[in-house]
Amino acid sequence: MASPPFATQRHARKKQPGALLRRSGAAIFLLVVILVTAACGGTSGSSNGSGSSSTPRVIKIGSIHPLTGALAGDGKQMDEAVRMAIDDINAAGGIKSLGGAKLAIDSVDTQGDPNVAQSEAQRLVNDGVAAMVGTYQSDATAEVAKIAERARIPLVIDVTAADDIMQQGYQFSFRIQPNATAMGTYGARYLKAISDAAGSPVKTVAYIHEESDFGTSVFKAFQAEAAKEGIQVVKEIKYNAFNVSDLTLELTQLKAANPDVIAATGYYKDSLLVAQNAASVMPNVKAMYGVANGAFDLPQFPKDAGKAGSFYFSSNYHWNALSSDANKIRSEFQAQYNDEMRTPAVFSYVAVQVIANALERARSTDAQALRNAIAQTSLNTSIFPFSGPIEFDSHGENKNAQPILMQVQNGSVVQVYPGQYAQARPIFPATPWSGGTK
Amino acid sequence: MSARGGVWQRSFAVSRKTWLLVGSGCIVLLLLIWAGSGTAWGRASYPVLLQALITGLLLGGVYSLVSMGLTLIFGVLDIINFAHGALMALAMYAAYLLVTFAAFNPYLSLLITVPLLFLLGFVLQRFVINRIMGQPAENQLLLTFGLALLVENALLLIFTGTPKALPAPFAQSSLHLLGAVVDIPRLIAFAGSLLLAGVLYFLLSRTTIGTAVRAVAENAQGAAMVGIDVRTIYALAFGLGTACVGAAGALVAPFLSLDPTVGEQFTIIAFVVVVLGGMGNVAGAFLGGLIIGLLQEIGGAFFPNINKLLIVFLVFVLLLLLRPQGLLGRKA
Repeated sequence: MASPPFATQRHARKKQPGALLRRSGAAIFLLVVILVTAACGGTSGSSNGSGSSSTPRVIKIGSIHPLTGALAGDGKQMDEAVRMAIDDINAAGGIKSLGGAKLAIDSVDTQGDPNVAQSEAQRLVNDGVAAMVGTYQSDATAEVAKIAERARIPLVIDVTAADDIMQQGYQFSFRIQPNATAMGTYGARYLKAISDAAGSPVKTVAYIHEESDFGTSVFKAFQAEAAKEGIQVVKEIKYNAFNVSDLTLELTQLKAANPDVIAATGYYKDSLLVAQNAASVMPNVKAMYGVANGAFDLPQFPKDAGKAGSFYFSSNYHWNALSSDANKIRSEFQAQYNDEMRTPAVFSYVAVQVIANALERARSTDAQALRNAIAQTSLNTSIFPFSGPIEFDSHGENKNAQPILMQVQNGSVVQVYPGQYAQARPIFPATPWSGGTK
Repeated sequence: MSARGGVWQRSFAVSRKTWLLVGSGCIVLLLLIWAGSGTAWGRASYPVLLQALITGLLLGGVYSLVSMGLTLIFGVLDIINFAHGALMALAMYAAYLLVTFAAFNPYLSLLITVPLLFLLGFVLQRFVINRIMGQPAENQLLLTFGLALLVENALLLIFTGTPKALPAPFAQSSLHLLGAVVDIPRLIAFAGSLLLAGVLYFLLSRTTIGTAVRAVAENAQGAAMVGIDVRTIYALAFGLGTACVGAAGALVAPFLSLDPTVGEQFTIIAFVVVVLGGMGNVAGAFLGGLIIGLLQEIGGAFFPNINKLLIVFLVFVLLLLLRPQGLLGRKA
């Protein structure tokens, strides 16, 4: 297109095949270095899964998460949590009904790409894993669930919100986390409950969400339940989470709709942007309210957002901060990996517990027997603020999964609703710019 | 292939017609806003439109910042640098380290990140990029793309993928202008973009080195014949381009949380900006950045529920059809 000023030079260079070869040699060398680095990152630790000769058999559990790419932050934690759960189970004597058989991790990287997720899942199947745990991303999980079904190997989904994955009639996929519909529905119910209790009922909501399946399905569920509760969604704004760097205009548009509350669904960086830009735009609302929001209940959110993050609500899947089991796992993780364990990783940990529990009851690593055992799971856990034990319905969804409402108070995230899990009373109405009273 | 023009001067060869084009675009825009304010709908959405204008301009400044270095490298070295975004992430992490561990003011960190990135760019060109100069595009693509992977994964290894935010002095402060909001850090980045464009203009058009850079961009063999050290100029130009993206990284760090892939979102837009402005044209990149920013935000104000980049790409495709050499580019 533009003038090629090097046309003559190019010819000059082509006269020296030796130099060209040397140069491409260097390029190939660099490529090899890159590939080797990538390979080391992707498969480190999978080598310990092959020793299966002696009496305590080794049962391989596939861990399939985004270890590189934009989602690597949580993906790596989730992989580490699977590893820690396996170590904990092994330290407690392995699978007792199988003669103390040990578990071993077989870890692969989806790179945040559904196509890679599919081929890596197939690799896990070829490696002979007994079950898989993954993947954090809806589109990647959809591919892995397909492979699991075809290979008839159980998949326990730790984190993935999209509803439709479990609507395919799959027999081998199970999900612990509340799905998008549950999160949207409970989000609306909790908002109604706390605003009524505060004597300041919410009538209108303006909603901002990222535009993928995740944000859209949570929004739709919220809207449907809100309508039943007498709350009207007066404005909906979508954005692309992967190329957004400013949401000032969007918040101005939400402010112009003059709602009682602004609700937001998104990932970490974009939601942090919502909080920062809202602090400049200062919409005249009763509260800023996250629904399945990837930022507002994270421990680093109050630090990163500073004052702009005060009083933010977040209705989300989360561990139960009142549970000693949850706190034990999280401090163990902190000690082992020197990193604060976030919610997705806690789910990965429990996903391994679900598989181990099923292996105990199945007394076999046979895929069908293991699948049936997982389907009949009834695992009491205090780690999550669920309404009952982990039990799966005919679609493989956890019947008792529910989110919990949290709020940023005095620079930290506390549980405020439902009452049995509350650490503090919700402060409503409240925004960072109006303070605790409006 | 004429001998006139250069990295900067290309802009002035077609200036009258192009400025007419750009000017009429601006007038249409103002007319739209004026006509809009006459209607009830327009009055109701006046704050939104004004905000769109301001946000678009500020965001466009960021796009310009990132794109100027990329287009400079293309103009002089004829290399499409896919590692540009990764180098931006590198600069942001450098700023992050300086601010968190050496208690630097984020804007003072520019004094270190910019020379550092210049040096890195210089060395990178000398020992790595120089080996693929003038080779087929796929070799260049593989190498620069590989570099991007290398840098991003190294950052991932060191800093993990958890997003980090820079503690900045004015992060939460903003001006209120006729009902619209202007964030101070974004305003500073915009000013930085203007300043950088000015510095580049001065460097390229008023200094001996700049003249040499332009000469090499025009005709490397001819430049070599009059005694210009072409190899050094290549390394220098790549270093300059990298220093530009270094400045961009340090200037946006106060308002964007950083993770190892943070540069990717800008790389895509920067390529659009570079082509829009005329490939290799620094003034074009500056103007192109502002136009893309404005298009994106004003489009977003009128059509709130579609992907903002869709509007950008739509106009981009139209431009490629009507003016394939870019706004300030000349017909090849």
